[in-house]
Amino acid sequence: MLRLLNILAIAFLIGSAIYAYSVKYDTIFHAERMMKLKQEIQREEDVIGMLRADWAFLTRPERIAALADKFLELQPSALSQLVRADALPEKGPRIDEIGNKLEALGLSKPTNTPGDSSAMDSVSSATPAR
Amino acid sequence: MRSRDANNGEDLIAGAIRRNPITKRLVASLFTVKLDKSPCRIRLAAAVFLAAYAVIAAKLVDFGLRPEAPSRDKRASSDTIAAARPDILDRNGKILATDIKVMSVFAEPRRIVDKDEAVELLTAVLPGVDARELRERLGSRKGFVWVKRAVTPQQQMEVYHLGLPGIGFQPEYKRVYPNGPVAAHVLGFANLDGIGISGLEKYIDGQGLADLQGAGFSLTRDNLTPIVASLDLDAAYALRDELANGIVKFKAKAGAAAILDVNTGEVIAMASLPDYDPNSPADALDPSHINRLSVGVYEMGSTFKAISIAMALDSGKVTLRSHIDARDNLRYGRFTIHDFHAAHRVLSVPEVFTHSSNIATARMAMMVGVEGHKAFLAKMGQLRRLRTELPESAEPLVPKNWGELNTITIAFGQGLNVAPLQAMMAVGALANGGTLVTPTFLKRGEDEAKREAPRVVKPETSEAMRYLMRLNAEIGTARIADIKGYFVGGKTGTAEKVVRGHYAKNRVLTTFMAVAPADKPKYLFLTLLDEPQGLPETGGQRTAAWNAGQITGKIVERTGQLLGLPPRFDLPPQPFPLLAKLGYAEANIPAHRNEGH
Repeated sequence: MLRLLNILAIAFLIGSAIYAYSVKYDTIFHAERMMKLKQEIQREEDVIGMLRADWAFLTRPERIAALADKFLELQPSALSQLVRADALPEKGPRIDEIGNKLEALGLSKPTNTPGDSSAMDSVSSATPAR
Repeated sequence: MRSRDANNGEDLIAGAIRRNPITKRLVASLFTVKLDKSPCRIRLAAAVFLAAYAVIAAKLVDFGLRPEAPSRDKRASSDTIAAARPDILDRNGKILATDIKVMSVFAEPRRIVDKDEAVELLTAVLPGVDARELRERLGSRKGFVWVKRAVTPQQQMEVYHLGLPGIGFQPEYKRVYPNGPVAAHVLGFANLDGIGISGLEKYIDGQGLADLQGAGFSLTRDNLTPIVASLDLDAAYALRDELANGIVKFKAKAGAAAILDVNTGEVIAMASLPDYDPNSPADALDPSHINRLSVGVYEMGSTFKAISIAMALDSGKVTLRSHIDARDNLRYGRFTIHDFHAAHRVLSVPEVFTHSSNIATARMAMMVGVEGHKAFLAKMGQLRRLRTELPESAEPLVPKNWGELNTITIAFGQGLNVAPLQAMMAVGALANGGTLVTPTFLKRGEDEAKREAPRVVKPETSEAMRYLMRLNAEIGTARIADIKGYFVGGKTGTAEKVVRGHYAKNRVLTTFMAVAPADKPKYLFLTLLDEPQGLPETGGQRTAAWNAGQITGKIVERTGQLLGLPPRFDLPPQPFPLLAKLGYAEANIPAHRNEGH
């Protein structure tokens, strides 16, 4: 009995030591991982900062103006090209010009598709949406 | 009492504590050995230790066999040598100044074994490092010297592969200005150590950034909010471009231009040429690269007449219907004041403005009197230094003994040297309804601006000045500038420069101020040219309307849509309601019928 208790006590001792040290090493591992991730984040942020500066440099007005002069045929906008929203002309009534053209050509009747003998007598005239 | 298993020899110590029975038993049990169980126990202990060492050996073999990913860890390096600074953005969020992380190479001279070899290898890899200077620096007894700041990643790799002891890298933040010379004077620059030297950079330091850094806070991009300037990058570029073209066209020595929002006091754009690129800051030290708008003081010439006439109107001594005698030259002692393109007749107040008559303006100022004149100019902030966010500012040159002659000449803008930005502030006050708003280089709302703005003239006076400026643009000296489409009002100013003690007739400083739109002003434009020349197309004339006015017209045309100025297709029916109420109905009738003006 005493011997069993002894062995149990020793086992418990070793077990608790293993547990404590494994927790410690786990913590160390996670702390290192966290530090590594933080450094990677910092690295990414630095790169982002560099890219923002690069973008600002590439889209600076001087360069865009030079490129626009070289490749685009734009001219300075004239005042006459600016119109206020309430000065736009009224939209007229909506006319379906294509539908009118089809009707004039006699094509407004729906087409019968072959293999459709049952449907041939009852031609459903589905009018196009107006 | 003696224990039963006392087979071993008793120590003398045991004898000493024989008197205490408990301790006697404990001590006795320490020294007993059960010889019959010992071999088992010894074998057990040996087995446990063997197992432990076997596990360690197995782990070692395991570590040796498994290929570990190359660890990219470094020790946590402290980034606080050149700490981060907040970005400076324009009013629309575009970057004007930002930090990038660069590596700087440093050396620890005490650790370098062979200094000559180090110098040779380093100068071979890094361009721009003087060999002799570097050798001197390495020869010193210091513990830390810089070899080269801000090296490229390529150079960093090469220095790393040299494998020199005592050479290391330090990450630093370097300030870059992606837009080059645009808005250089406003931004100022920050040096390699991240300390603001001039302009907004220095202002940011003064606002507590330097204190935070000094206190040791680690400042990263996340916890520094960017500073939003009042500048509009596109408008600033357009302004600078047009000014540069104008200076070349009119063969001027230098020039400056600015756009001010009269209601909020924000400086939307500012340029002073010649200027410098803040990325190479050594150019900033050249005295011709100063910011002429806030650091230079000039006699503003006839643009000051707007202030004098406003003073006369505000005091009530003169109304828009008054007539001033401008028939003869004004004599004061041995000095004679005459007009440019003299009219030689009695002029009404609007005519005084549109003809830009020195004589009549001087007479009006004399009506107010010397003390009244001084008080008004002090009220308008023209007699003391204008303090804005930019640390650089200039004290106006005020005559020490201010007598009547000074009042006469200062009335038409000669005899008092002010910074052009100050004059803009005063004319802006005349345009925005009568409150003096201090110019600012940071984005600001109208309520905040008007909160601390003192009222300097009555609203009726402000409207009268707007009417006069509009009239000037229709039929007066400003009509040559011909700025279409935004209902602009303007005032020209041509001042003779003082050369060797007296006024030189052929060297002038021309200014042109335009307020747009004249009925509800939003922006005030100023262009200033130093010694423009007459051209064949201007008929050889070098007065302000022909050069500064033309440049301002181009600026308004180019930036009008950027700034959101509403183009005027039909003239507003009643642009000046207060004047109509006071009985000046003619103010609302355009004097010059032009389509789309």
